[in-house]
Amino acid sequence: MVNENLVKDVVKEPYKYGFVTDIETEKIAKGLNEDIIRLISQKKEEPKYLLDFRLKAFNKWQKMKEPDWAGLGYKQIDYQDIIYYSAPKQKEKISSLDEVDPKLLETFDKLGIPLTEQKKLTNVAVDAVFDSVSIATTFREELAEHGVIFCSISEAVKNHSDLIEKYLGTVVPASDNYFAALNSAVFSDGSFVYIPKGVTCPMDLSSYFRINSGDSGQFERTLIIAEESSSVSYLEGCTAPMFDTNTLHAAVVELIALDDASIKYSTVQNWYAGDEEGIGGIFNFVTKRGKCLGKRSKISWSQVETGSAITWKYPSCLLLGEESIGEFYSVALTNNLQQADTGTKMIHIGPKTKSTIVSKGISAGNSINSYRGLVKMGTKAKGSRNYSQCDSMLIGDQASANTFPYIKSQQPNSEIEHEASTCRISEDQLFYLQSRGIEFEEAVSMMVSGFCRDVFNQLPMEFAAEADKLLALKLEGSVG
Amino acid sequence: MEIIEKIKTNKSIDNQTEIQKICLDKLQSSPLPNPKSEQWRLSNKSKFSNFLGYSLDEKYPKFDTPFPNTSQSTIRLVIGNNCQIDLIEENYSIQKLSQDELDKYIKVQISCFDPNKNWSDLLNLSLSNTKNILGLKINGSKIPPIEIFSHSSSNSLNAKTLVIFLEKNCDVELLQVNLGKENSSLSQSTYFCLEENSSLNHGVVSYGENRSNLLNSLNVIQQKNSKYNLGSLHFKFNYARFEISIKQSEGNAKTNIKGMQITKKDEQISTYTKINFNGPNGFLDQINKSLADDESHAIFEGSIIVPKIAQKTDASQLSRNLLLSNLAQIDTKPQLEIIADDVKCKHGATISQLNEDELFYMRSRGITLPEASKLQLSSYFQEIISFIPVSKDRWDLLDKLLNEK
Repeated sequence: MVNENLVKDVVKEPYKYGFVTDIETEKIAKGLNEDIIRLISQKKEEPKYLLDFRLKAFNKWQKMKEPDWAGLGYKQIDYQDIIYYSAPKQKEKISSLDEVDPKLLETFDKLGIPLTEQKKLTNVAVDAVFDSVSIATTFREELAEHGVIFCSISEAVKNHSDLIEKYLGTVVPASDNYFAALNSAVFSDGSFVYIPKGVTCPMDLSSYFRINSGDSGQFERTLIIAEESSSVSYLEGCTAPMFDTNTLHAAVVELIALDDASIKYSTVQNWYAGDEEGIGGIFNFVTKRGKCLGKRSKISWSQVETGSAITWKYPSCLLLGEESIGEFYSVALTNNLQQADTGTKMIHIGPKTKSTIVSKGISAGNSINSYRGLVKMGTKAKGSRNYSQCDSMLIGDQASANTFPYIKSQQPNSEIEHEASTCRISEDQLFYLQSRGIEFEEAVSMMVSGFCRDVFNQLPMEFAAEADKLLALKLEGSVG
Repeated sequence: MEIIEKIKTNKSIDNQTEIQKICLDKLQSSPLPNPKSEQWRLSNKSKFSNFLGYSLDEKYPKFDTPFPNTSQSTIRLVIGNNCQIDLIEENYSIQKLSQDELDKYIKVQISCFDPNKNWSDLLNLSLSNTKNILGLKINGSKIPPIEIFSHSSSNSLNAKTLVIFLEKNCDVELLQVNLGKENSSLSQSTYFCLEENSSLNHGVVSYGENRSNLLNSLNVIQQKNSKYNLGSLHFKFNYARFEISIKQSEGNAKTNIKGMQITKKDEQISTYTKINFNGPNGFLDQINKSLADDESHAIFEGSIIVPKIAQKTDASQLSRNLLLSNLAQIDTKPQLEIIADDVKCKHGATISQLNEDELFYMRSRGITLPEASKLQLSSYFQEIISFIPVSKDRWDLLDKLLNEK
């Protein structure tokens, strides 16, 4: 028998991003009402159509009920006890990075995100979001040479209003679900990416989200538009300090791919997960959806979910264009009292569309890890195909792994295949590795990383290494 | 809906038995199932109200089994036909359960029923009067195959209940036939209790006539080392639901399920299964096939629940579906809920149409398209039909299915 304690030890690595940056912030009063929304909109000097969009969303939200179908157990969120706008105080307009508060730069440095371009190590452009606002976006000039727009969404509202007006809310409508409606009403910042026709984005784009205050929620919104024959790879990372209170994070991500365009969206989510007793941690309610509008367009989601006390996230693809492709690669790791309900939706609408789902769930401690996915073949999805694979690994006999695939077909000329399996860390394999002189912990982490290989292979280079390390750290102490 | 009104007012059902009263009380809180719940959300509402639209049949029309009893060695029973059975032979005995035994067992069952999750059972028991409840206890081996019929009569709703105890070391082959008449509804609930080392080969064949409806629910409790095989076939119903709940109360039991549902025209047939492993070393092998043609809708939802205690469980579930028409639809949702870590659990699901390569191969060898698809279908059906006990020799189900079109 594998020593259970050993495995438990393997999972007990402290959360190293849990520090708080002591910085003066500008916060508005707690609570949510029309005035607060007007205030947020006013602070961001938004045009009227956006304020109307927010108010409409707020009206819808008020009429909606918080969803309970995911069966996640968490204490009631008091939406009036949240600060909906919090921004580090700084000079009104930043023209260059030199004017950014050095403390902020330090924070991102500490997180391993160099914002000063001199320090660039990798060819990645970063948009750093701190609480409610975007702090800095790097490599803008170089990107601009190629016609790529990469900026915070507030800037986009000012400078590229036509694009925002045309696309915002077209993939995830304000009334889509409870959390999307909330986000639409109060979203503060986020990233905006526009890749013009025929352009392959010269570098990976990345946004980094940092929650700093304990009492404010983060509601960011990301919009990526890939014009005909363009392509982009986008990375997203997130961390938060350790607080005993739960912080709400409700984001919306919208992707639009036109003819022959391709978008690859990768996430490493490492929000603070709460302590071993389940105190504190981020409530992560995210709506991510991509629309393959054009022919032969492709949207690929890859995610490594290791943080958050509660994860409620279903990155989806609407496959409208003929021969469009949707992909979803996910690793979700839960430990202690974490709960993750994650998966994807692949809605095949256009003919000859294809989708692939590979989901790997690892549950340790007393956690609950569920895959919930929908594959739907519409009546016009002739010649479409889907393949899904969901594997779960259980570590210890207290964790639970659930699989809920919803499959619906209305098109006989289409094929859907789904398979799922459950396993544990095999004693034979462990014995084999150990007998060859590999330490127990290393053997476990090798096996876990082998289990996730299909997904890690899909991650961009920098992320793949990080994800591997992250998983090894997170699992420290939990294998048994 | 007269039936629902009766439930709501809880008055007009005459000569209520105690069980009927308990069930009606339980149903008071939810006279109709919650249409938003997972088990009912795909249910076609107008078809379901059609099911409830008929009034309760209080008469007991004579029933002639549609199949001549050619084999002498079969025991044939019809629920509701006042059947008296008390067989004590050398190797085996089949006896009626006493009213006390029956009431006691049913009461225990009801006590853990949830008005929403076990709505069909509660409805059944609140409508079934003493005459329509058949309780048997079976003991011994080398028992001749048993056939049990349940039927509805035209323009009415019938409720039939079957309770069977299989005592220790008992080995039985049992075929249950549910027949729906034109414009009728049948509510059938079946309870099996398999004691240690017992084995049951159970077949369920349900088919209706024009616009007949069926609500069929099956509850099985398996004790240690028992073996339960189920082969089921549902076809030709305007609306049918088959709810299976199997509980391996102490683990160490084996369950094999092979089910099939065939929908045509605008029919809707659904299967919901819930397998609960309540002890270690449980085994499950389940396959469910659906075929949907014309404008019909076939639904499968299966859940496997493996709590912490059920270590070394080996469970697999496969849902295979054929979608043959542009207007038909199939929904399938196999689910796993696992806590025990040392288990082998897997599930799979496919939806497709008949394999074109195979069709091409056969056609290139001179077999016509209809014949070739018939061949493919017969192999698709055969796997399930061959698993249904008793019937295969003389019922010719395959022929019925293939030539029905």
